[in-house]
Amino acid sequence: MKASNSTGAERQAALLQASARVSRSIASILDLNLLFNRTVDIICDEFGFYYAGVFVVDESGEWAVLRAGRGEAGRAMLAEKHKLHIGGNSMIGAAIENRSGRIALDVGKEAVFFRNPFLPKTRSEMALPLIAGDEVIGALTVQSEAEAAFSDDDIAALQTMADQLGVAIANARLHRQNQDLLRQAERRTRLLHAANKVGKEVTSVLSLDELLPKMVDTIVEAYGFYYAGIFLTDERGEWACLRAGYGEAGKAMLAEGHKLQVGGSSMIGTCIYLNEARIALDVGEERVHFKNPHLPRTRSEMALPLPFGKKVLGAVTIQSVEEGAFSQDDITSLQTMADHLAVAINNSYTLEALKAAHAEILRNKVYEALTVATTEAIHWIGNKALPISMTIARLKEDLAEGQPDLESLGEDLDLIAEASEMIVQVKEQLIGQAREQQPRPVLLADILQAACHTRNVKDVKVEIAPEAAYVVADSTQLARALGNLLQNAVEAGATSILFSASSDSKGQVYLTISDNGAGISAEVLEKAWTPFYSTKPDHHGLGLPAALHVITQLQGQLQIHSQEGAGATVHITLPASQPIGAEISGQPAILLLDDDDDWAQFFTACVPGAKRSEKPSDVDLLLIDQNLESADFDPLIAEIRGAGLAAKTIVLTAAMDVDKMTRLLRSGLGDVRLKPYSPAEIPALWQE
Amino acid sequence: MTTILLVDDEKLVQRSLEKTLLRAGYDVVTANDCASGLATFEANAASIDLAVFDLNMPDFTGLHKPGAGLDLLQKVIEAKPGIPTVVLTAYDEVGKAKEAMSIGARAYFVKGREQGLVELIQGILGKTA
Repeated sequence: MKASNSTGAERQAALLQASARVSRSIASILDLNLLFNRTVDIICDEFGFYYAGVFVVDESGEWAVLRAGRGEAGRAMLAEKHKLHIGGNSMIGAAIENRSGRIALDVGKEAVFFRNPFLPKTRSEMALPLIAGDEVIGALTVQSEAEAAFSDDDIAALQTMADQLGVAIANARLHRQNQDLLRQAERRTRLLHAANKVGKEVTSVLSLDELLPKMVDTIVEAYGFYYAGIFLTDERGEWACLRAGYGEAGKAMLAEGHKLQVGGSSMIGTCIYLNEARIALDVGEERVHFKNPHLPRTRSEMALPLPFGKKVLGAVTIQSVEEGAFSQDDITSLQTMADHLAVAINNSYTLEALKAAHAEILRNKVYEALTVATTEAIHWIGNKALPISMTIARLKEDLAEGQPDLESLGEDLDLIAEASEMIVQVKEQLIGQAREQQPRPVLLADILQAACHTRNVKDVKVEIAPEAAYVVADSTQLARALGNLLQNAVEAGATSILFSASSDSKGQVYLTISDNGAGISAEVLEKAWTPFYSTKPDHHGLGLPAALHVITQLQGQLQIHSQEGAGATVHITLPASQPIGAEISGQPAILLLDDDDDWAQFFTACVPGAKRSEKPSDVDLLLIDQNLESADFDPLIAEIRGAGLAAKTIVLTAAMDVDKMTRLLRSGLGDVRLKPYSPAEIPALWQE
Repeated sequence: MTTILLVDDEKLVQRSLEKTLLRAGYDVVTANDCASGLATFEANAASIDLAVFDLNMPDFTGLHKPGAGLDLLQKVIEAKPGIPTVVLTAYDEVGKAKEAMSIGARAYFVKGREQGLVELIQGILGKTA
């Protein structure tokens, strides 16, 4: 449709329709560029004009900048960043300045017309201000090749359209502002999340090797930056050494041992030296920027100090590919993050210092313990060896004189025997500790009974909770350890010993042995764990260290709490356990010679048909509990041998003693075995 | 007859030394800690010619204490100045030896070299028993 070919009525109708289409079309467009382009296209297509363009007032308010232009002329002018001075001699400039439309029906006659080489055919031009509210936000130019091309109707229709365009521009701007606000809100949310994450990590991660890489990853990922790195100053404060760097660039720089001089020309070096953030929103303008070949795309860089008290522990570098990338929000939140990080770094340093101090204390303690142990061992060996060599010397002299005093000779031999026996006992204690343990679920009550039986400890009050009935242990070693502890209580003069055991949900059994004996002074207690240290002249001082060794090997803990004159309480922790179940069948006729104790109840409950008695009789398999209290053991064995039942007899023990075992086997018994404590262990008694 | 006070908490050591000294012709009175050692000394102070103390044994309260023998040495020398004394120990500690000598011990004897103990005592007493 050409304006010049239309009748007045038709043209008015067409203009109204075009105006309505423009309104519908532009009302929903929120993208400003699209809105401008669509507007110029509609004006030219619907109204049949030669050219249309949209100018927008820039931020300075001095220039109207072309934002959309029809056709080749428009593209060329946009490429040239065409702009017109507001209030200048252009129609656009005047329309904006005066907030009113200007029409040049023959541009040659319009004084303010700017002769535009891109639009040489223009003969009529209209410039209409774009107004939103009270603000002139730009202007619309419409041009025609025809002289006097614009009728009053055109002007009215186009001004209506210009007004609608002004509203649409204002809406689009508002929308963009809303979008910006939304983006800012989202960014703030991300920053809060990042700050929260950093806050958690700085309080929970104490290893810098773990913490620092997490920090750079969090910073880069939460803020969308190009790179982040953390430098820490060396001990002399001369160099800032890279300790964590993001991505491949970080890896490469870490591999190179990247470091920057404190106080040097780099942003990091300056930042640490001055204890001030350094921000280069365009790195080309920052004199002290260090041009880094690993980070060629950096356009903005920030270096934040890591201050702790008056010290600067290092600095964080944060880099972006955008110029002016850091908002005030970024700087504030990142410096807060850096402050938290500095506290975490200082905590880590403190922890390292504490570890080093602890290691030194431990070394000193170990050395002290070794010294005490060596001293005690020398003393002990000297005292045990002296009577032997001295007695031998006397014996030699007596024999040389040819008139030995037989009574004295006998006593001398006893002295040698006794001293030798002590040495052998030490050897056994040491071998016991060195022996490899074979942990399995064991019935605590029976191990305790064996310990009491072996050491002849009477009247121990026992309170074992059902859930603490089983622990994981080597029965021989645990019986030995408990025996040593019970013997200590007895030798401390205890008249009452309480053994208790309870369990918790952590899978631990807590044992206590409390006595009312003489107690132990703090000074003695400190040395009590030292091998060969003893306050008793005839002791080798290995009982407590051996018990500690056994319990520790079983992944347990052993502590003693005591006050001199107020008894002692031994606390032991051991892993709780359950017996290993199994179906038992096909067993022979079994008679168990035992007291009615916990183990006998366990055994007879597991083995259908097994009978318990305190007197032997002829069965397929005769089992004897070595802890048997209700009958004397040796006469019982003699009775079994006399009845011809020895070969069918197995002695069961919680704690295997090689000497006792060989003695029993020599007497003709079938076997001596460790007691089964789980149903799964029982069939081996008749199957093997 | 020359009488020697022997104080040692190790009963085998005590008995063996006692027998060696008896065999060498000395009278021997024994005790096994500081308290009984002092009591035995006080009961026989006039007749005791020389005292032999173990260095490490129970002190006057009955608790085992390293160097307790020096406490007894001090009291015996205070009670009978000039009495010859020998301190026995399981190993040679220069500091303890010096301390013993400064209190007034005539010798510091390391157990294990017992072959020389009788000769040492004879040398201190200036004569055979």
